[in-house]
Amino acid sequence: MEMLQYTLRKLITGIPLVLGVTLISFVLMVYFGPDKTYDLLGKNPTPEEIAQVRHQLGYDQPFVVRYLDYLRELVTLDFGYSDSSGERVGSILKRTIPVSLAVILPGFILGNLLGVVLALVAAYHRGGWIDKLIMAGSVVGMSVSFLIVIIAFQVIFSSSYGLNWFPVLGWDVYSFWDYLRYVTVPTLASVFVALGYNTRFYRAVIVEEMGRDHVRTARAYGASPAELLFKSILKNSLIPIITRIMFSIPLVVVSGSLLIESYFGIPGVGKVAFDAITTGDQPILKAVVGLTAVLFVVVLIINDILYKVVDPRVSLK
Amino acid sequence: MSAVEPLISVRNLRIEFNTERGVVRAIDDVSFDILPGETLGVVGESGCGKSVTSLAILGLIPSPPGRIVSGSIRLQGRELVGLPEAEYRRVRGREISMIFQEPMTALNPVFTVGSQMVDVLVRHKQLTRKQARQVAIDMLAKVGIPSPEKRIDEYPHQLSGGMRQRVMIAMALSCGPKLLLADEPTTALDVTTQAQVMEEIVQLQEEFGTAVVLVTHDLGVVAETCQRAVVMYCGKVIEEADIETLFHHPKHPYTRGLMDSIPRIREQKKAELPTIPGTVPDLLHLPNGCRFVDRCFQAQERCCQAEPALERQADGSQVACFYPLEAGA
Repeated sequence: MEMLQYTLRKLITGIPLVLGVTLISFVLMVYFGPDKTYDLLGKNPTPEEIAQVRHQLGYDQPFVVRYLDYLRELVTLDFGYSDSSGERVGSILKRTIPVSLAVILPGFILGNLLGVVLALVAAYHRGGWIDKLIMAGSVVGMSVSFLIVIIAFQVIFSSSYGLNWFPVLGWDVYSFWDYLRYVTVPTLASVFVALGYNTRFYRAVIVEEMGRDHVRTARAYGASPAELLFKSILKNSLIPIITRIMFSIPLVVVSGSLLIESYFGIPGVGKVAFDAITTGDQPILKAVVGLTAVLFVVVLIINDILYKVVDPRVSLK
Repeated sequence: MSAVEPLISVRNLRIEFNTERGVVRAIDDVSFDILPGETLGVVGESGCGKSVTSLAILGLIPSPPGRIVSGSIRLQGRELVGLPEAEYRRVRGREISMIFQEPMTALNPVFTVGSQMVDVLVRHKQLTRKQARQVAIDMLAKVGIPSPEKRIDEYPHQLSGGMRQRVMIAMALSCGPKLLLADEPTTALDVTTQAQVMEEIVQLQEEFGTAVVLVTHDLGVVAETCQRAVVMYCGKVIEEADIETLFHHPKHPYTRGLMDSIPRIREQKKAELPTIPGTVPDLLHLPNGCRFVDRCFQAQERCCQAEPALERQADGSQVACFYPLEAGA
């Protein structure tokens, strides 16, 4: 019951936050965004024609009305029609978001899971050669640009210069086998890049936790290394780990899928957004930017709720 | 000493720590015995090696940077130095357990006190979690925690400092250890709570027949609870005697200095509380000869040249001084 109240309270505090971020994205992207009037008009339009088009586009409405319009679009998920393809933005998103999730999720989950495991191993052997090896690997992962990694992995795994095991481009998925064929190389690339940062960060968190008094107590009462690492230490390190994972979700969804999808020719939401940026397809951009902002706020709220689940000291009040 | 077989016998223990400034010998040639069921006080200033000694008995010297260079620690004749980790884990918490100075941080903040106690019991006693929970509740009741069946499901932050230290005591004694190492168990508590917690320890010790090593710099607590005490200075044992002898007739000038600097209510207030002049020397730059020589009021030529060994006196105590103080001096 207390938990439910806490959740509700967090949701309510999220409302002004959503209004804030949507207001900013509205002002920057829509209100001061590109003016489409002259794209729709012929040469030498008359003032009446201009006024008419501006009215159709809603440019003559006051600021508040236009902002509320934008909010209504976000709530109803009805963003009108794409400027370039004429398809409904809603149905584009419905088609592409699942594809993006299917591409991104395996890499995201593996990148964090392996990161935590490697960090635990490194932290446990800190100072030893295993630790040094893992840390050296993570520096490599951090230093190499994502673009280079993608291209290198495409050459290694998907070209006749390398192993040539996987298709280099596209998304022809009709079975689980197809899915594996297309998702493997993007997943490897994103794990390679994420692992460096994740391992380093998680190791620092875990090493700090290992020095705490309660770990010494657990050792003094005969806890085994596995119990120490996976119980005493891991649960205490979860708050920073969860924070990092949660806050990386919107970034991974947007920038990660943007790069991966455009390089692997995968028709996901990242590719759609990328094309929309280059062609100035405002309805799609409005939808992507607005929904990302909302996603951030939702993630923030879930994050707060998870804190409470993990750490009993977080007050419910 | 006596015919009683010692529970723990520490012999010629040497522990070194690698530091940025060089190798520090934190424990140098320390030997002492702990008898079954007795309370042994280990007394000394901060940094003299009291805590390191108790951690060494549990095999918990952080390594690196620390290591046991030589010497032996025997638990009822069984050598603990060099014991494989897996076997040492069966000693920790079961045969020897420890309570720490900081009850605020010594318990894991994200698990209930019950689950932490149950973990220890299940680990060492082959109980189901349900049985272990009942034992834990009984133990909490024994250390004077009111409504233990409710408290057991609380988290450490919901308990006061005194309560937490009681939980530690309950956890420490739950597997019926032969030895309890208490490292400054009351230092972080209020004065009134201190007395209560010490009372619990003494009472349970009698009930369970556990030997206790009380590491402290509080001589008052030692006088009240211990039968015997070891005085340490700069990683060495410099005096060892039963409590009566130690307090009424300290033989080492350092022990004497410690005794004199206990504030007490006197008939005539002295102008100033006597203190030991100088400070503890840096372990990296120890003086030649006796470690206490720079601060000793009766230091002689010989004290600067050779280090006195721990020698047994006529009354059964041991002291490491060339010129032990005479009774009544």
